[in-house]
Amino acid sequence: MSHDSHHAPVADKMELAPERSDLGLFRPDRTRGLFDWLTTVDHKKLGIMYGAFAMFFFLVGGVEALAIRTQLARPDNDFITARMYNQLFTMHGTTMIFLGVMPLSAAFFNFLVPLQIGARDVAFPRLNAFSLWTFVAGALVLNGSWLFEFAHLAGWLDGFAWHQALTYTDFAPANGWFSYAPLSGTFGQANAALQAPRFTGVGTDFWIIGIQVLGVASLAASFNFICTIVNMRAKGMTMMRLPVFTWMTLVTSILIILAFPAITVALIELMFDRQFGANFFNPSAGGQPVLWQHLFWIFGHPEVYILVLPAMGIVSEILPTFTGKSLFGYPIIVFSGAVIGFLGFAVWSHHMFTTGLGPVPTAAFSLLTMAIAVPTGVKIFNWLGTIWGGRIRFTPPMVLALGFIWMFMCGGFSGVMHSSAPADAQQQDTYFIVAHFHYVLLGGVLLGLMAGLYFWFPKIFGRMPNAGVAYLASGMVILGFNLAFGPMHYLGLSGMARRTHTYHAGNGWETWNLVSTIGAFILGIGVFIAFVNLVYTAAKGQKCASDPWDGRTLEWSLPSPVPEYNFARSPVIAARDVYFEHKHGVHKLAYENDGGEAGVHMPSQSWFPLLAGFGFLIIGFGMPLMSMGVPHAGWVVIAGVGVMFLGIWLWALEGPGGYMLKTPANPLGTTAAADAATSAH
Amino acid sequence: MSHAADASHAHAPTSTGIDHKKLIMWLFLASDCMFFGTLISTHLLYRKLYPTGFTDAEGHQRFVQNLFNIELTSFSTFILLMSSFLMALAVSAMHKGQVKSFRRNVLGVIFFGLIFLGCQVFEFTHFYHQGLTIQNSVLGSTFYVLTGTHGTHVAIGVLWLILLYFYSFTGKLTGHMAGLDVEIAGLYWHFVDIVWIVIFTAVYLVEYLGPSGFWGNGLPLAK
Repeated sequence: MSHDSHHAPVADKMELAPERSDLGLFRPDRTRGLFDWLTTVDHKKLGIMYGAFAMFFFLVGGVEALAIRTQLARPDNDFITARMYNQLFTMHGTTMIFLGVMPLSAAFFNFLVPLQIGARDVAFPRLNAFSLWTFVAGALVLNGSWLFEFAHLAGWLDGFAWHQALTYTDFAPANGWFSYAPLSGTFGQANAALQAPRFTGVGTDFWIIGIQVLGVASLAASFNFICTIVNMRAKGMTMMRLPVFTWMTLVTSILIILAFPAITVALIELMFDRQFGANFFNPSAGGQPVLWQHLFWIFGHPEVYILVLPAMGIVSEILPTFTGKSLFGYPIIVFSGAVIGFLGFAVWSHHMFTTGLGPVPTAAFSLLTMAIAVPTGVKIFNWLGTIWGGRIRFTPPMVLALGFIWMFMCGGFSGVMHSSAPADAQQQDTYFIVAHFHYVLLGGVLLGLMAGLYFWFPKIFGRMPNAGVAYLASGMVILGFNLAFGPMHYLGLSGMARRTHTYHAGNGWETWNLVSTIGAFILGIGVFIAFVNLVYTAAKGQKCASDPWDGRTLEWSLPSPVPEYNFARSPVIAARDVYFEHKHGVHKLAYENDGGEAGVHMPSQSWFPLLAGFGFLIIGFGMPLMSMGVPHAGWVVIAGVGVMFLGIWLWALEGPGGYMLKTPANPLGTTAAADAATSAH
Repeated sequence: MSHAADASHAHAPTSTGIDHKKLIMWLFLASDCMFFGTLISTHLLYRKLYPTGFTDAEGHQRFVQNLFNIELTSFSTFILLMSSFLMALAVSAMHKGQVKSFRRNVLGVIFFGLIFLGCQVFEFTHFYHQGLTIQNSVLGSTFYVLTGTHGTHVAIGVLWLILLYFYSFTGKLTGHMAGLDVEIAGLYWHFVDIVWIVIFTAVYLVEYLGPSGFWGNGLPLAK
């Protein structure tokens, strides 16, 4: 078997001779358009797809939020039913966390990490594609529940025997994003079909398998990123020269691989309860529902830091860029990020103070929760120290990053308030908690991620978003956000409970609920304007230079858009903030003698990550169909497992493949040379 | 797998000197520790809460010591330990390029793995006929799901080794990468073995500890 023709260096992958893999299948290397996107293993394209899916699901989750706020605008409202309200707040939380924030963070991980460490790709390019498609499968499963729900409401399912046999007919998840047992579980004795009676309908099964599939995607991606960061750093890129965003990616990935197994097991146990009549959380058989809470929050609290650490990393990149100063206390920022990751595993029970843990655990978790505010506060002071004395440029990403610090701090303050268990007992399940975590996750994470989008969009697409629109959107988001969630502090402390679909007039809650709803709409429109601005920029925005912000890290040394091989020659790093040093300091960027006419090695594209992901999609729809009692649904699950194994098997036998791509000889010869090499795109 | 790709991609020096594949396997195993840790914790928590075992179909209270067949489980544990020994020999053989020795040893690992799985199937069937089901008690749920998950890990390992065994006949399992590929399978196999030692101790052996069982269910140990 000769690959010589295939491995002669080419200037463009379309010049490659067709290559058969070991199985005799043609590899999809020479593809353009849709097939290229479906089979790509390029971390930049995967990052863009992650971002696109994430922004779409942000809008879906946003529409769900606005429906909730519309319902709550007036007392005794009947805009949506209580049943729909439960489904909306469940899917809003689940969507925002698992389909909005996590994949948008993953988009940044994908696009930036190899560029920031001076690598040409991630350690396992096909595994990276698998993560994306498995995430898409999980997202489709979760949201596929809506299709069944709407079909049920429209009466299209009434004719089916299995539908008539259902006790509960809620098809979309309705248990909250935490799906507490026993509500999500079973009660009583299992019948001959090995199923015990349940409290809820099939929506919970959609939720269980959807989150399970998303967990597979997150785990695979995290293994890949840790491996990439630890193992693929360019020469001279020591750990303490890593950009802070890459550091936070590393900490986040470690959190994911250690926290997700807890939810994986919890979901398996809950699935066994519901599908096979097991008793893990079945109270009538001695199961302890509080065990679900422990397992969920052992995952769920690190998850909070999984959401926020990437945003902190982004802000730590933006502030130095727009103040012209290096990050104040880089080692302390890195260290406090790692401490947050470590302590994040030791505070889960503060979500459970009101379950009656006893005085010792309550005091311990209370203390640890107060302790975790310390490294977080350290970061805030470091950011302030970075801004102090700098020449601040109020660009859109900078405005959003400053908004992040301020809003996140407000969320942190209320967080410290309910780290005190007696105070928490008053605040548990009220809108005060809703206000707190939205200040952290929306005022914090969303502002951070939007800042990142505005900051790196010129690098990703080589086009600059319209600044006027960006300022307008940022202003609306920050204003609308505070109008929407500020009043919830008051509403919560005056007793308004979470997760109730309406409230009576006369409690003094009318005005602030209306204000909150108005704020939510301003916020929603602001986010929508920002996304329209960004999507328009990607397609038709003003072209810009490759380093429009006077950037500091390695990605800004590359042409925009970044060529598919990333670095024409591998960089050699002599300092932190290496590109800024190169431009303004004494340490110049050097390059290894690779690439050029000899070419750089590019991984081959593959259909099989997509195929394996498709297997998860079939499994994901098969399990809830089994729960519905649809005949032969078990075979759908088995078929899905078969497709998944087939994909992985073909993937393994296919081999990594690869081809050599010529690069321009002079890497810092700015964009002209590189543009010529990639002009075929 | 093309050799050109090997030379330029897989052999590229890594920052730590550890191959990507080996590193990612260690990361997976770290994650799997938490996975089994959660399952084992679930089982132990419920053993502490309900030390007296389960009630069978006839309504009789059953004790775990009377259910377990510790001799059989000790035997299958010993077999699994010995399979790890053979796995180490297989890895060593492949590192030296001795493919025939690798095949002999890996067949031994597969055989021992299948014996372990056979014992588990027998044990599950036996326990089921004794009245312990996944539905009738918390003990049944935690026991079958925990040991079943471990069995699934062993089964995946056996499948992996069977594929490696047949792959060695294609002539592509050669050189430095072959030793590494087998070593990674070995890491997985040893890990699954170590997890079993923990499960054997925490789920089986402690039931026989002390005069009335570790969980204090009052049953005298003498059968």
